[in-house]
Amino acid sequence: MPSVLQDSIEINKIVYDEETIKARVAELGKQITEDFKGEELIVIGVIKGSLYFVSDLTRAIDLPLKIDMIGFGNIPDTTSKTGVVRITKDIDIDITDKHVLIVEDVIRTGLTTAYLISNLESKKPKDITLCTMLLNPNRLLMTIPVKYYGFEIDDRWLLGYGLDKKEIGRNLPYIVELTKRD
Amino acid sequence: MAIITISRQSGSLGDELANYLKEKLGCEIISRGYAMENFFGDLPEEEIDRLNESAKFFMDKIEGTDVTYKERLIESLKQKADGSDNLIVLGIGGCVILGDREDTINIRVYAGEETRRNRISRRYNLSPDDASSTLAIGDRKHKRFVSFLFNTDLSSPELYDLTFNTDKLSVEECADAVLSLAAKHDTRLRISRETQENDSIDHQTQTPVFKNPTEEEFARILDMYNIEWMYEPKTFPIEWDAEGNIKMAFSPDFYLPKFNIYLELTTMEQKYVTKKNKKARMVMELYPGTNVRIVYKKDFLALVERLKQFGG
Repeated sequence: MPSVLQDSIEINKIVYDEETIKARVAELGKQITEDFKGEELIVIGVIKGSLYFVSDLTRAIDLPLKIDMIGFGNIPDTTSKTGVVRITKDIDIDITDKHVLIVEDVIRTGLTTAYLISNLESKKPKDITLCTMLLNPNRLLMTIPVKYYGFEIDDRWLLGYGLDKKEIGRNLPYIVELTKRD
Repeated sequence: MAIITISRQSGSLGDELANYLKEKLGCEIISRGYAMENFFGDLPEEEIDRLNESAKFFMDKIEGTDVTYKERLIESLKQKADGSDNLIVLGIGGCVILGDREDTINIRVYAGEETRRNRISRRYNLSPDDASSTLAIGDRKHKRFVSFLFNTDLSSPELYDLTFNTDKLSVEECADAVLSLAAKHDTRLRISRETQENDSIDHQTQTPVFKNPTEEEFARILDMYNIEWMYEPKTFPIEWDAEGNIKMAFSPDFYLPKFNIYLELTTMEQKYVTKKNKKARMVMELYPGTNVRIVYKKDFLALVERLKQFGG
């Protein structure tokens, strides 16, 4: 049991170790550097899961890019039972007519990504490209064009490198599979 | 996306709405000035002056031709609309000339007498009396043009799909409503056209009545994420008998226009899931370009679970 976790969290096995993650992030960084050479790029990380991925990825991109973060949450609403999704931390940088790279930790159904794209599109960027550390293509409910991804995953519950269980485990430097998700 | 015609009273913010929409849609505005310059630009200046002076001259034939000015106006505007994805037509009887096109949205903008008088008075630094007479002249000219050329009363409500009173509404508020309507109408037209091109059946005019609480919950989740959806907008026939009668059909639960994807929810036993999977595959084979995804029970439950913690 790594000391950053609680006793209640049972780990089945390490899925991606530090070296594997590091190597893949370096590959992605190199590819993004080539694709956006000579362009003005703004990287937008999604709070909080993409924290470590954004940090490592942007340092692997050899371009004079700008970095911003965006966060959203489920806000209770008196007119509906489920509440509404709202931006809780908007971007501060003007993205009008700029290339935007959204960086996420994981894309499963694509609902949050769709929401993000639609929100950022209203700010009139030149284009929006998607990059996620983990992608579950079998669970995608939307036709979302993910250009860069670290690893394809299945339905396992994962933890670490930004992914959490009740806010614990984000700071594990590798990605593990949980025995079960409570 | 749409051909938007705007008929307006003087001082009603109709011109401002047209300009705002032009910026948002990145398209041209066909106004009287545009028409005179581009549809009648080959004519001598005195003929243009005559047309600007009175609507009755539009009924005359253009010299050396069998075509009246009115006919050229109609033909030129129709051609312009045919060659444009987005177009704004301000006045010049656009709502009558293009009103029958299914991709046209006809807007009427008006405001109370006092509001309009105040606006004109402020804008042109006129006394209230002078502003009133300026308004009266402008309104009369608009009305007479359409009445004379098309025997139509501009104030008839049946000419319009959407009417704005700008006493309390801003240009931006009106524009948001127009753009939202145009986007929805565009989606509806696209689905209707696809329906005409293949054998699928269009249900778009029906009000959604969800078959079970899961569908209702899923619709709420899509709403949460501000993702536009349509409930069972279409039925796809997938099997026919020898006489061509439909033996089997499939109506996916949701359609997400922005992502061009149909979603079918399943919370049932495996044998039904297998059947649904087969139907979804058949739809994609028989109707190329149609995307169908099955949302399995465990996907749905995982989604609800994640939403509790927040994610997706």
